[in-house]
Amino acid sequence: MDFIISTLKIVLPAGTPLLLGTLGEIYSERSGVLNLGVEGMMIMGAVSAFGTTMATGNVWLGIMAACLVGGGMALIHGLLSITFRANQIVSGLALTIFGVGLSALIGRAYVGLPLPAKIRASPLPVLEDIPVIGEVLFKQDALVYLSLFLLTPLFWFVLFKTKWGISLRAVGEKPKTANGAGVNVYLVRYLAVFIGGLMAGMGGAYLSLAYTPAWSEGMTVGSGWIVIALTIFALWKPERAVWGAYLFGGVKVLQYRLQPLGISPNLLNMLPFILTMTVVVLVSAQEKIKRKVGAPAALGIPYVKEER
Amino acid sequence: MISVLVVAILFTMIGIAGYGYSPGEPLKAAFIYVGPVGDYGWSHAHNEGRKYVDEKFPWLETVYAETVPEADAYRYIERFVVEEGADVVFTTSFGFMGSTLETATNYPDKIFFHCSGYQRAPNMGTYFSEFHQIYYLNGLIAGAMTKSGKTGYIGAYPIPEVVRHINAFALGVKEANPEATVDVRWLFAWYDPSKARLAAEALIADGIDVLAFTEDSPTVVQVGQEYVEEGEPVYTFGHYSPMQRFGEDSCVSGQLVRWEALYEEILAKIYAGVYNNTNLQEVDYWWMLKEKACELGGEFGIPINPNFEATLKEKKVVDPILGEISVYDLVMERLAQMSEETVLFDPFTGPIRDQAGNVRIEAGRRGSHDELWLMDWFVENVRGEIPR
Repeated sequence: MDFIISTLKIVLPAGTPLLLGTLGEIYSERSGVLNLGVEGMMIMGAVSAFGTTMATGNVWLGIMAACLVGGGMALIHGLLSITFRANQIVSGLALTIFGVGLSALIGRAYVGLPLPAKIRASPLPVLEDIPVIGEVLFKQDALVYLSLFLLTPLFWFVLFKTKWGISLRAVGEKPKTANGAGVNVYLVRYLAVFIGGLMAGMGGAYLSLAYTPAWSEGMTVGSGWIVIALTIFALWKPERAVWGAYLFGGVKVLQYRLQPLGISPNLLNMLPFILTMTVVVLVSAQEKIKRKVGAPAALGIPYVKEER
Repeated sequence: MISVLVVAILFTMIGIAGYGYSPGEPLKAAFIYVGPVGDYGWSHAHNEGRKYVDEKFPWLETVYAETVPEADAYRYIERFVVEEGADVVFTTSFGFMGSTLETATNYPDKIFFHCSGYQRAPNMGTYFSEFHQIYYLNGLIAGAMTKSGKTGYIGAYPIPEVVRHINAFALGVKEANPEATVDVRWLFAWYDPSKARLAAEALIADGIDVLAFTEDSPTVVQVGQEYVEEGEPVYTFGHYSPMQRFGEDSCVSGQLVRWEALYEEILAKIYAGVYNNTNLQEVDYWWMLKEKACELGGEFGIPINPNFEATLKEKKVVDPILGEISVYDLVMERLAQMSEETVLFDPFTGPIRDQAGNVRIEAGRRGSHDELWLMDWFVENVRGEIPR
């Protein structure tokens, strides 16, 4: 029992940067724009959060800066892939390469410096005393609470229960029809991509301010790519993203908890990707399944507004 | 006719030889790094060494390339010697060994130094800054600091270098606390802050309260600091770069590298003409405390964090030669012994048993260079295995 509680307690923070990024990427992909720039936006978010917190001593300003920078970078992708209808894969990859390089350049001055303020665990009074659940859920930091209790339900609600959510999904399914129904396809896509950037930036901020609070080059070490796998694994549903993120986080945690039993960490490391590949194969194999799980039909296809 | 040819060939050879570096002339040195200089670990430390000599020697000009893929190294090295006209090239990753030897063979008039390898040539030497003495000192402190009797070590890769450091750490732990153990987790990464955190938290969840590691970020120290602040102290040792600043209440000491000591030595000897492109076959630096290629501490100049001085002075152990002595004094004594011109102490002095209880190094004997260099077994108080 102790083993389970102590394991679950460290699973949540491990999954949080993935959850934040995945929520955003779900919106972007739901609108029909694949953004492979998550790694780049995330690491730019990490360095901006670090730099802003260094300068101001305030982690919340750091998080805001990370969101804005992530969103700003996403708009570059939007400009290229929505307005100029460039290949989304190429544009996204370029964004990642650009972000990793630029963050290294900006971050050179921050290497080896401790932060004046970090995001610390803030146990919730009363709730933390609930046996088991309190230990696992309510002794975490603010961003764990924010992502789990506020953002995930909000993203789900907006996507499935609001008019704008319907427009967003319509734009990613049949943009032509959506346009016919009076939806501004470009605007909706831009917004969705921007939200994707905000969230990736926040995920990066979580890494550089809370999870591994220091700056060094390439510190996201592939988290952005896991986000992209996770988006598919979650079948583009925010409520599934939670489980996916914690499952992926949990597998990472177990690598080290189970190592003394002789279970190879490399084997466990593959598990999330095997699961994702299974989902990808299932989703791509049959059009019927694809329709059913809700894969955006227009994903990756630039929209060209027709002349009337 | 033949004599003319011979003379021509001789002149050509002299011409080639004369194309190399002549002592006392301005010297250009190139550095090839495997990682980014902003990693706060291996490549960062080499670059600090480069900056030091660049500033110190007015006759020296340096250039460098970072994040060089090992498969691509030949191209980079060749570009430096051909296009940049570098006289000496330092290649700073084990994986650069093959390409360094190849360029050294193809450009016999240039000088090459490869870090951490074992292959040499007339114009190619090797150098390394070795940490096992310091890990042993860290182990002494760890044995004194642990309350649970369980210490931990987070290793990057199961290679002889890391195994040797874990063993040295474990030998220190054992000397200060014969009952204490060292649990090992492998990261399979030199640099991955998230993995380092996960491994640290996994060890802490198993009751470990002192952590040493081989990973290029201060994450483990920060995790330790968080636990101290939550009232469940976990003590840590910085690795490679100054990390005490990331956890003043957790980081007791650590290992620091000073590549500048080696770069200064090697470059000065090239400048003075002691080393040239014909006499490096036997030049193999394995520098430690004595040569000041490394240093004990979590910050330069601070061997033990003052916050822990009192605790370590209180904890007493009995040494067969020194008698009853505090761990603090023992650390300082051993540090002095290992820093002397004639090294009076080495952690790998027998009898040393492996996990199965077999004597690997007999009583009274010091482990040889090769035994340490190829180490693939754990000493008896280490828990965990070396994946094959």
